[in-house]
Amino acid sequence: MGPLAPYELISENTNFLLAFFIGIGFGFILESSGFSSSRKLAGIFYGYDTVVLKVFFTGAITCMIGLLLMSLFGWIDLDLVYVNPTYLTSAIVGGVIMGAGFIIGGFCPGTSFCGAAIGKIDAMVFIGGLFIGVYGFAFTYGLWEKLFMAKYLGEPKVSDSLGLSDGLFGLMLILAALGMFYVAEWAEKKWPRPEY
Amino acid sequence: MKPLKLLALIIIPMGIILAAVPADKTRHFRLTADELLQEAGAGVQFISPDVVADMLVQKDPSLQLIDVRTPEEFAAFSLPGSINIPLSNLLADEYFDQLNQDARTNIFYSNGAVYANQAWMITRQLGYENNFVLEGGLNYWFSNVLAATEPAQTSPNEEFARYDFRKSASAALGGGSIVTVEGAAPVSAAKKPPVASKAKKKAAGGC
Repeated sequence: MGPLAPYELISENTNFLLAFFIGIGFGFILESSGFSSSRKLAGIFYGYDTVVLKVFFTGAITCMIGLLLMSLFGWIDLDLVYVNPTYLTSAIVGGVIMGAGFIIGGFCPGTSFCGAAIGKIDAMVFIGGLFIGVYGFAFTYGLWEKLFMAKYLGEPKVSDSLGLSDGLFGLMLILAALGMFYVAEWAEKKWPRPEY
Repeated sequence: MKPLKLLALIIIPMGIILAAVPADKTRHFRLTADELLQEAGAGVQFISPDVVADMLVQKDPSLQLIDVRTPEEFAAFSLPGSINIPLSNLLADEYFDQLNQDARTNIFYSNGAVYANQAWMITRQLGYENNFVLEGGLNYWFSNVLAATEPAQTSPNEEFARYDFRKSASAALGGGSIVTVEGAAPVSAAKKPPVASKAKKKAAGGC
């Protein structure tokens, strides 16, 4: 039955329309969880605010449970779900750059647009930096191409490399996430900070 | 009830269900003759030369071209980045990892499409995924992609777009001056691909 667009149950344009509404919902949830404040976002790195961990892990877990259950019922063909291919070197280098930018700027790309939408000037400056980075990379692509394409691994899954079934790994991830949430709430209570 | 407890009460049982049921119960290891006939009839194994040319120009690392002709023919000419697995040796142990994997897109090619198609049939029957066939084979590749002819003035715009793409792809792949198949042209990997991909790339995620 699913996914909808690759099976052509809905057209490409309907797909974009759905993405538009989902995007608005995503932005709304980000903004109402406080993700438009760079102090709140950077808090995860300093340990006084763990909302980033909680929101993104909840998102990942929800998505994982949904996909696995739907695939179990035959509602979605996981082989047709697009998975970003893994280029190990660029994933590591990109992760370091993204993490450093996250700490320095206090935003990630999505939340910077949230911040800009409610008029935060630091978010607008961050978006400016984002475009400088995008164009800088694009115009000097030849220099990076080798690094960018290095260590191509296809679409590996953690469960495959550990030799576990998807479901068992899913259960372990759920337990790990709940453990992290518990520690995070305990830490927030132990070292409280004023809300920004 | 505290939100965390409520969350745990909902998602832990779900996780146990997921861990307890066997995954992919519907997937076959081997295809039945009926299924194979249906796939072959629908031509799902074919990948058009334009798509392959685009992947070559973009240096797509997931692309693995496999030449199923004899080693002599492979030595005389091969597409850039391809490896040689002669059809007669297809089932040799050394090629198993290459053919039965899910990281890369294997594309078989031969002079026409017959041998490549046979290779696909055999691997597909064994239940291997990710193996495809270069549509039309090398002959079509030479006559239509590397030596593309300008369409008539009255042709639809798509024809011209395809012609422009093929012209630039052929320049990028170093095949501009090829006349004959026997030419064994020096296929030097081009430095700067001037081709703008027409194919829509799927959007990547991110926060």
